[in-house]
Amino acid sequence: MLKVENLESGYGSMQVLWQPSIEVKRGAITSLLGPNGVGKSTLLWTILGSVEPWRGSITYEREDVTRLPAHKKVDLGITLVPEGKHLFVEMTVHENLVMGAYRKEALKSMDESLALVYTLFPVLKERAKQKAGSLSGGEQQMVTIARALMTKPTLIMLDEPSQGLAPKLVGEVFATVEKLKAEIGLTILLVEQNAEAALNASDYVYIMHEGTIKAEGTSEKIRKSHEIREAYLGI
Amino acid sequence: MILELLGGNLAHGLLLGGVYGLATMGLSLIFGVINVVNVGHGQFIMVGAFVAQTMFTALGLSPLIAIPAAFVIGMALGFFFFYTVIRRLVEAPELTTLLATFAIGILLEEIAKLIFGADFRGYNWGLGKIELAITTIPLSKIYAFVGSIVIALFLYLWFSKTRLGTAVRAVIEDSEGARVCGVNVDWIYALSFAIGIGLTVMSGVLLTMFIPVGINPYMGGTYTLKAFVIAVLGGLSSPYGAFFAGLIFGLIENGAYVLFAQIPGVAPFSLTVSLAFWMLFFLLLLKPTGLLGK
Repeated sequence: MLKVENLESGYGSMQVLWQPSIEVKRGAITSLLGPNGVGKSTLLWTILGSVEPWRGSITYEREDVTRLPAHKKVDLGITLVPEGKHLFVEMTVHENLVMGAYRKEALKSMDESLALVYTLFPVLKERAKQKAGSLSGGEQQMVTIARALMTKPTLIMLDEPSQGLAPKLVGEVFATVEKLKAEIGLTILLVEQNAEAALNASDYVYIMHEGTIKAEGTSEKIRKSHEIREAYLGI
Repeated sequence: MILELLGGNLAHGLLLGGVYGLATMGLSLIFGVINVVNVGHGQFIMVGAFVAQTMFTALGLSPLIAIPAAFVIGMALGFFFFYTVIRRLVEAPELTTLLATFAIGILLEEIAKLIFGADFRGYNWGLGKIELAITTIPLSKIYAFVGSIVIALFLYLWFSKTRLGTAVRAVIEDSEGARVCGVNVDWIYALSFAIGIGLTVMSGVLLTMFIPVGINPYMGGTYTLKAFVIAVLGGLSSPYGAFFAGLIFGLIENGAYVLFAQIPGVAPFSLTVSLAFWMLFFLLLLKPTGLLGK
């Protein structure tokens, strides 16, 4: 569904991505693991089109989308749940969700999308009129995921969704991610620090280090490889 | 006697404050969306003043027609300067943006001098006055005040009710968050800058309805200073905060004039001019987030 080949990008003159290549299969959870600061987030933002690619290619549904800006990617059904939430804290939960349905296509099916996210996260219905900033960390993470669902995505990229959450909530987030795949049929590209939990949830795993892919395989294979776990995951 | 004088001046101050508020909304909007401090702000007010004066004297058109015309001219200038200069500065260090917008200000002043010369200009609308118990107020000032309120209200509705206005608020809060929702953030930057400049040029017309004299290429500087004080007073990135802060500033400025005049041996006009500096000084010292800010 999504194919990234030899992508290079960075900020200013600092190169962050050194030709990683990954493939995301439809209906699967693909994980991108590795320590902090190896370019995982940059890879996601470059796929979205918010960071400009220097070289390499991005193909989505067999179409070349390398140079497409972020808002056009959202039209194609790609979205990102960013690390650190990036919610509109001064707006109500409802307004945040409506912002998710900003693109014309998403706006048409806004009522269905709202019904869907309220079934997934019933607590958000109760909080609909509250300012997003007044919610707990776990609830804010729900709003971020819900807002992304409002864009009517087919591919959803999640950047460290469990970061900063209590252990009990981490389990809930992963349960949600698996639900998105099983019940809504979304394709998921997941970036995680929590390698153990990510391995359990994923179908396929890429190990990223120093801006490129160092290893890949089914989560089964990665879990069994002592060298990979020791060298890159520390588990 | 002094109370009567004070009352009259406060009434004028409130009316002028509305125009001040509108004149600062653009500055706040631009700062809020793209984090650029427009040091050339007052020069765009000057452009608006010339739009009003030229349309009135050369074409015989009422300032009421100059208001929408100034908005269109301001939007055009805004888009022009955004795509030629500002776009490169959105993520640049503050000093670069200060220098660039300062340069835009000088450019506007010199172009205005080239076209209109350095003389002071004015126009006489001659709408008449209304008598109040405490003071007499020219009708044009009332029009300017009402105009400011209507425009501010319109902007408020646009921000809170429309899809595009909500997107601007979203970008002010979190541009990355807006991007993942599919907002074309770069377009919102351009549009907000253009609207901000449009509002500013428009406020220049309203200011001439208040003070129809002294229109010259170098009149902008004082307004930049006042707008900065008002913007800080209103909490910097909030256009509504700026509007209410403008009302407060107008009241203080005009009230203080009367009080200063009571002190023997003091020139009340010069002291009032320095008041903005003092307000800025104490505000930054005591409540740097602005009186209405958090």
